[in-house]
Amino acid sequence: MSKYIVSASPHITSPATTRRIMLDVIIALLPALVAAMLLYGFYTLFMAVLSVGTAVFCEWLFNVITRRRQTVGDLSAIVTGLILALNLPPVVPFYVPMVGAAFAIIIVKMLFGGIGRNFANPAITARIFLMLAWAGVMTRFVAPIDLSDGANLFVYFKEALNIDLPAAITTATPFDAVKQALESGANPAEGLSALDMFLGRIGGSAGEVSTLAVLIGGIYLAVRRVIDVRIPVIYISAVAVFTAIFYADTGYVGEYVWTYLLGGGLVFGAVFMATDYSTSPKGGVAVLIYGVGLGLLTVIIRKFGSMNEGVSYAVLLMNIVTPLLDRIRPRPFGTPRVKLSDKWLAWKRNRARKKESAAEGGECVA
Amino acid sequence: MPHKFMLGTFRHGTHPPASKGTADIPLSPAEVPEEIRLPLSQHIGAPAREIVSVGDRVLEGQLVAEPSGYVSAAVHSPVSGIVRGFVTLPTATGGKCRHIVIENDFLYEKSFLAPLPEDADAEAIKARIAEAGIVGMGGAGFPTHIKLSPRGGADILVVNGAECEPYITCDCRLMTEKAEEVADGVRLLKRALGAEKAFIAVEDNKREAVAALRPFEGDGLEVVRLRVKYPQGAEKQLIYAVTGRKVPPGALPADVGCVVDNVHTAYAVSRAVRCGEPLYMRALTVAGGGVEKQGNFWVRSGTPYSFVYEKTRGDLAETVTDKVISGGPMMGFAQAGLEACCTKTTSALLFLDAKQISRAAASECINCGRCFRSCPMFLSPREIEHAVLDEDFARAEKLNVNACIECGTCSYVCPAKRPLVQAVRLAKKTLRRGGGK
Repeated sequence: MSKYIVSASPHITSPATTRRIMLDVIIALLPALVAAMLLYGFYTLFMAVLSVGTAVFCEWLFNVITRRRQTVGDLSAIVTGLILALNLPPVVPFYVPMVGAAFAIIIVKMLFGGIGRNFANPAITARIFLMLAWAGVMTRFVAPIDLSDGANLFVYFKEALNIDLPAAITTATPFDAVKQALESGANPAEGLSALDMFLGRIGGSAGEVSTLAVLIGGIYLAVRRVIDVRIPVIYISAVAVFTAIFYADTGYVGEYVWTYLLGGGLVFGAVFMATDYSTSPKGGVAVLIYGVGLGLLTVIIRKFGSMNEGVSYAVLLMNIVTPLLDRIRPRPFGTPRVKLSDKWLAWKRNRARKKESAAEGGECVA
Repeated sequence: MPHKFMLGTFRHGTHPPASKGTADIPLSPAEVPEEIRLPLSQHIGAPAREIVSVGDRVLEGQLVAEPSGYVSAAVHSPVSGIVRGFVTLPTATGGKCRHIVIENDFLYEKSFLAPLPEDADAEAIKARIAEAGIVGMGGAGFPTHIKLSPRGGADILVVNGAECEPYITCDCRLMTEKAEEVADGVRLLKRALGAEKAFIAVEDNKREAVAALRPFEGDGLEVVRLRVKYPQGAEKQLIYAVTGRKVPPGALPADVGCVVDNVHTAYAVSRAVRCGEPLYMRALTVAGGGVEKQGNFWVRSGTPYSFVYEKTRGDLAETVTDKVISGGPMMGFAQAGLEACCTKTTSALLFLDAKQISRAAASECINCGRCFRSCPMFLSPREIEHAVLDEDFARAEKLNVNACIECGTCSYVCPAKRPLVQAVRLAKKTLRRGGGK
């Protein structure tokens, strides 16, 4: 027995830990949560608590039942719960975030092996599931409250269980108007204020509406080097470029570009969901394809699909492509570049040889 | 690529805390033990063969073991005294080798080689380097004279003063205090190699060393400042940072016309040529929370680690030291005990306390990509580890595991504390043994 600890090098490790990374993401989500409370009252906080609580409980329970090492300490379930809650409309019945969080954790995350193993972003997949399950409540939005009366902060609590909200408090999202404008050929920015959209004084999902709050969180994550900044930058730029291309004939290119950038949860999705570690690619070329793909899919869904926003579906689809994109690996440092034509010749030669040896060996090749 | 206005560097890498608290402590002679245990394998290649027998009196600097093959190096006695026997002891790297036990008579009677003339030619210098038993002192211990005769020649000599490992400061002190000899050694190496240019590459946190070396620039010798980044001193990364040349995986620096030697090797060459002094003493950094007298010392080969610890521990309790590392904390070797002895390649002995080492348990990979983005060889450590865990070594080979330089950056940056470089070592070893089929 040695007096000293013996292990293979390296003997020191960086201060970064999984828990610290998740804590950083939680911190980065706080501005969006605060914005949601100021815009729609405390019911959004209530939803977040339910969602986070269910997520953590489900992960704990899953580990207990399957007798695995307990993993709730890594805080990733809190991140999933929080992102899901901020992705929902500000007023949904209390069981919606709970079912969503349970779906996200059990079906999307734990059944695929837990943290780092999920093939799709749990929060996004859960949101899509909820939109299919409760299409009505998932597409009704409310107007921001009037903060001059403090009692308004609690106003949505009593409406939450109603399947049919009174018409007086429901509102259209700016994207409904944009969609109508697309059909009628009118100016999509008619009656919209860029400042309102930037601050979040519009109808929309609780945490997504305030681009400002989301950007504050995004900058924090970038400074802390938690996320790969290339992903949101490429994604958002790609949306701008593809919007300009796809809407070139409408006569309102500028208006479409800024409404598309500020609305529909694009910035939230780009910062917090497209950057999810286990479902985003790592290499430079792969990240470029991923970001451009996200932008292209988002604009296609917005223009041609029946849905207004399209970020969720774009991220989900690109998540599925990620394992393929991860196969694009850089050459090890110093490896000389091989010409594409030479690669092709080598592949053909290899295939011919395989066929030959198979024929010689008399093996049956299907 | 290096740029006129920018510090040379490479892509990726990481920034472990420098922890170079001993950088300002000047080199001083270490105490010498009564009993020297001189390893016969202080280099890569065949161990040296002893040419003395029990009872012989040897002098300081006398040849006591000669090279036993093409890749091998001579070993000289670090003290004067009587040969008391031969023992097999553990080495710092986890193996075992034969040691000559010499009883120190504390007379330090010297027996050096004759100094070479001022205008010694390349062959004479190379012969002297072999005679003096000089090996690469950066850690690998490859016999220097072999390196100086590359097939196809080399036009650039890069002298490695990067010292990118945390804690280690002996090269920094050497360059600062012995700049003239270091520069002289570099010129001798350059002459022996027939190179057109020689660069002394120093990380930018060693301004003192750069300032000390500057006056000796010119005539094909240049001091290059490099960005402070780990692993800046890794051979391939260093060559790229200094010359912009890329050494392909599996190739040698000489294949791109470069030879890399450590600054301490250059110093040893100068001593061997100018004073006829063989290599049996080197600068050693002793650091860590487990010792009171941290610093840089001239220590003789064959000094047991236990002796170094005894002389530097001071009043600190032995239990303070949790881990002993021969070398740096990124690539050095943890010691089970202190039986091993200093060699020509021992640059540091670290006695680290609980706060200075990592004992975090590994958790699930979260796929963050930090290992991938910091790998200086552009590999994908997490995928290699997956392959190793699947025992699919053929897949690991396809992922270019053999290109890995084992710098440990991936394991260092991993937030899940996964043993990535350790998995790489397992894969390489299995593949070497013909596994992975």
